Amino acid sequence: MNEQLRAISELDRVIHEPGRLMIVALLAVVKECDFLYLLHETEMSNGNLSSHLARLEEARYVEIEKTYRGKVPLTLLRLTRAGRAAFEDYRKALKAAFLAALSVPQAGFNEC
Amino acid sequence: MRRPKRYENIDGTGEMSMGVMMLSFALVGCLSAVLPEGALWRKNGLATFEFIPVVMIPIWAFQHWGVKAIKKHFTWPRTGYVAYRRSGWPWWKVIVATLAASAVFGAATACLMVLARRFHALSLERAVYLAVLLAAYAFFVFHWSRQQAWKWLVLIFMALGLLAIALVVPGGAVESFRPVALFLGLVWLGSGAATLYS
Repeated sequence: MNEQLRAISELDRVIHEPGRLMIVALLAVVKECDFLYLLHETEMSNGNLSSHLARLEEARYVEIEKTYRGKVPLTLLRLTRAGRAAFEDYRKALKAAFLAALSVPQAGFNEC
Repeated sequence: MRRPKRYENIDGTGEMSMGVMMLSFALVGCLSAVLPEGALWRKNGLATFEFIPVVMIPIWAFQHWGVKAIKKHFTWPRTGYVAYRRSGWPWWKVIVATLAASAVFGAATACLMVLARRFHALSLERAVYLAVLLAAYAFFVFHWSRQQAWKWLVLIFMALGLLAIALVVPGGAVESFRPVALFLGLVWLGSGAATLYS
């Protein structure tokens, strides 16, 4: 197994989980959004989304700001600088691993 | 997920803004026609240019209060709140590019219309002016059509309406400006409202 393929085992596990990956990918393309927006976009349940966000907040990848719009409570979410950097690293590592996997000589499979 | 990458005209506020703008222009046209010759509004025959800030007030008011209220009471409770990141271009580049494109497009249209008027080809002048309006709206409809295919019907309705006005009201683009502005204002306001409630 080459070096780049081995990098898969070192991927950031906080981001790697599909639900959290979806959240981080969505937050990466926006400046900020509220809880409802993420709920619509991810189609997760309230509890599921909350637990994933708590995990991301714990890793300091997501900043959660509880505020009010008039008298209505509003939960604003944004990716932190560390979160953005971690997502970028994750994206690069995964891309490199896929490229490495595609460059494995096909003849090798026939010989096994 | 079959959701759009980016919400485009999700609440129709863009169209409604264009509608308010056209209705403001129609109002200016009406004032110019109704007020007496010596009125300040019609002084020097440059009413539209001198009082452009007056025209801008309804547009500004709609943008400032109307759009904010629609976003707060309809859009965000429905879709959630999202603020997109700015594009890669700095703001001044976007403004310069928009101004340059508008200037080139506007100058080309104006030249065609002036030439048509000089050669008394009023039908050509009006055709150019209506084609520009239709092309501009078609550009937006093309953008929105993935989520709102019914906007093509609005475009067809708009084309038929403009054709009807062209057949009924004699003269060139200037003469037919008021009914065209009124018609487009109402169509865009209606189309935007339909988007908001769809």
